[in-house]
Amino acid sequence: MSDNYDVIVIGAGHNGLVCANILAKKNRKVLICEARENCGGLLEESITNFVPQIPLSVSSSLGGLTVKYKAKSSIALSESGQHIRLVGNQHIDHKVISGFSSKDADRYVEFHDKMSSFSKALGSFMMASPPRIMNNTFSDYFKLFKLGMNVRMLGKKKFNEFARMVGLNIADELEDNFENTLLQGLIAHDAVLGSNLGPRSPGSLINLLFRMATHDNSIFGGIYEIDGGSKAFVDTLLDISNKNKVEIKTSSSVKRCITENDKAVGVELHNGEKIYAKKIISNADPRSTYFSLLGTENLDTDVKRRIKHHRSKGKVAKLSLSLNKQPEFINCDKDDLESRMVIAPSIDYIEEAFNPSKFDKLSMEPILEMKLKNSDQSNPALDIQVQYASYGAQEGWDNIKDNYVDAVIKLIEKYAPDIQSCIETKAIVTPDDIEKNFHVTGGHWHHGEIQIDQLFMLRPIPGASQYRTHLDGLYMCGAGTHPGGGLTGIPGRNAAQAILEDA
Amino acid sequence: MNRDLRFTALKKTPFHSRTSLASRTNKYYNWNGFTVPTEYSTTELEYTAARNGTSVMDLTPMCKYMINGSDANRFVDYLVTRDLSQMEDNTVAYIIWCNEDGKVMDDGTIFKFSNTKFMLCCAVKIYNWLHDSAEGFDVSCEDATDTTAALAIQGPTSCSTLKNYGADDLELLKPFGMKQYNINGYDVLISRTGFTGDLGYELWTDPANAENMWDSIMEAGKELKIRPFGMHALEMTRIEAGFIQTNTDFMAAEDSLRPVRMRSPYEIGMGWLVHLNKESYFVGKRALKKEKETGNSERCLVGLDIDGDKPAVGSVIYNEKKEDIGIVTAAMWSPTMKRNVALASLKRPYGIKIKENIFAEIYHPEELEYKKIWAKCKVVKRQFFSPERRNKVPADLYE
Repeated sequence: MSDNYDVIVIGAGHNGLVCANILAKKNRKVLICEARENCGGLLEESITNFVPQIPLSVSSSLGGLTVKYKAKSSIALSESGQHIRLVGNQHIDHKVISGFSSKDADRYVEFHDKMSSFSKALGSFMMASPPRIMNNTFSDYFKLFKLGMNVRMLGKKKFNEFARMVGLNIADELEDNFENTLLQGLIAHDAVLGSNLGPRSPGSLINLLFRMATHDNSIFGGIYEIDGGSKAFVDTLLDISNKNKVEIKTSSSVKRCITENDKAVGVELHNGEKIYAKKIISNADPRSTYFSLLGTENLDTDVKRRIKHHRSKGKVAKLSLSLNKQPEFINCDKDDLESRMVIAPSIDYIEEAFNPSKFDKLSMEPILEMKLKNSDQSNPALDIQVQYASYGAQEGWDNIKDNYVDAVIKLIEKYAPDIQSCIETKAIVTPDDIEKNFHVTGGHWHHGEIQIDQLFMLRPIPGASQYRTHLDGLYMCGAGTHPGGGLTGIPGRNAAQAILEDA
Repeated sequence: MNRDLRFTALKKTPFHSRTSLASRTNKYYNWNGFTVPTEYSTTELEYTAARNGTSVMDLTPMCKYMINGSDANRFVDYLVTRDLSQMEDNTVAYIIWCNEDGKVMDDGTIFKFSNTKFMLCCAVKIYNWLHDSAEGFDVSCEDATDTTAALAIQGPTSCSTLKNYGADDLELLKPFGMKQYNINGYDVLISRTGFTGDLGYELWTDPANAENMWDSIMEAGKELKIRPFGMHALEMTRIEAGFIQTNTDFMAAEDSLRPVRMRSPYEIGMGWLVHLNKESYFVGKRALKKEKETGNSERCLVGLDIDGDKPAVGSVIYNEKKEDIGIVTAAMWSPTMKRNVALASLKRPYGIKIKENIFAEIYHPEELEYKKIWAKCKVVKRQFFSPERRNKVPADLYE
């Protein structure tokens, strides 16, 4: 049996593309098998409106990316028209918040500094594979020690504060600091975004820290829109792939991993075709990787248990409205419409929206993050991320989809009274749709909750946290691995490094 | 709270009406949630019956699981370390199974009825483990502990006893074979298996038939020195036979709090049950392969022949420099062999490469005083007692 390829990457999501290209640059012959017709995975549907910037270490290992980013400010919409606009600059934001409460403004700066130093301590670990706790090697202990030291080096006071906050819910911390409910709502929104948590759920604070770590260690800075949309981003990656001679096979869904002597040696496609390679890398989510590619009969019971308990219920739907004219948002100028518009007026509002989702039900008053596209052209569109749109909703998405979309539009109507008359078409992509169309179990953005039990060396599961699965020769490079999703390319890049280390 | 749930008394086995009648000592213990006799009269007498006549033991508290489904064969092969792919119908196999770290969870026996139907018997409850392991296999696992009555009939005259009971041609049944009978109008499964290291059988039936079965067998063995025997006598016979007992000779992986106390099959003398060349994967294979390749097994479980006649119960084992090298897990003076024997868990290379010059420190109580004995030991085969009649086909018959 000859190896036709050095590496086969399963899935052409952005992490798969990043990983493939780094390997191709190191003279590996790489093939990508993508189940869909197009590459880009979740990017293809622009599932997320706003993204962090690709870190320099990722783009440089790809030989530079030509993607252009536009920084976005955030605006918390208020029914009264008293919106809060924050840009991520301490001085400007201080001034803005002073307009509502001078106490809040001072507190915000303090709060931000504190959070920022914590996110830096955590973030320094983003670019390396996490220690493997079930391995007992010196380098793993050293990494763990370094993580501890990084946090400890913050100083005794801050260390104590970190220890206090790491399992805390975001609501308590915000209510301790701020009196303005709109500001509280905006920060809480970002803390729970993409997760299965409410602001009063323990652990919602570390979610925010993790988000900050990829967003320039800032709460409202480091939020970008890709110039030309996510398609431009995918095209750039495809151009690079072309240059690096990465072969891409689309419409080639992988059925399983072929093993020989308990080692991954190739893949079998659903059409029966078998392709062999020295190493196989899965960009799929952990559950699909383990249960479908690896196969339950090749897993230890303990591993099956861990994968079964892996939490990956998606909570975000994407609603796209194409408009015939630009809607009038109350008290919003042109700049405001260009920014990230958030409807999450208070912590209590978010918590109420979250409550039904605990029971896999839907709130008809969800929280929204919106982006107005082509605002100066004749075909504007509104892209809306709807949070707490539960995966596998008990109401049944097929039955309730239309009502749900109407409810969301009604909600927007409070802030843009003429929205109804502007709408041409509406399309919603629920977590169930994401699962079906993109083969992501649970339709979760991050291929699994960003929670303390699924982070660092526990991501996605103990024993498989360094991009290596339990099967020799099979790796993972998707958002389900450390440090998680969010269009950073870091998992893909770290995975490529792990593979190069093993070679 | 429901009154019945506040306190759950030990369950009685379907043989309880008979075992309690046979008990002259009223000594019971808790075996897997059931109350069963530790001894009926005296352990020595019961032991003697097991070695010279027929002994009867209520086995009902053993964990029993039915595994059914189109993938049952594949599933069982995946669950245990032994290669069962070629196992024949109506046979029984001794097995162990491990967790992902290749540490032994328990040992037991698997009964194969067909490719789609198996029964698993073991000491430790593993329903949860079976259920979670079955993910991805088309099988159903059912706990049959309460719905199957089991009786062990062991000893040189056991075959004759059972023939009198109605098990025709039983002498032709091979060791680890099993056969379905209909006796006195009910179904009984008889397997040539046991825990005494002697000729012996185990009987499996519906609990409704239990009392008739007990009475009929007692009647059938009346002239063949039949006697019920309890856990203490069984303990003696199983040590002589060199059989290991979970949580006595090694800690079940799921029961040990300290990872260093878990044992791999190679560390408890069960390496022969690990078939790494099995084509399909089995739970723990990767870890066991690694252990085998690196040879980093730390301990071993061996038989010891100890000087003197004082049983080395709980003794610490030393080398000639008086360094602690292990511990005795089970020990006895064997009345049949007239030897002082023990099972011991030793730190390698002791027991494997170094088999001489090791010592047991025995504390022997003598009327409120302990006598400390420094006894020389020799590492020997664990199977101290294995008479020819154990595996003989046709089995010995007596009148």
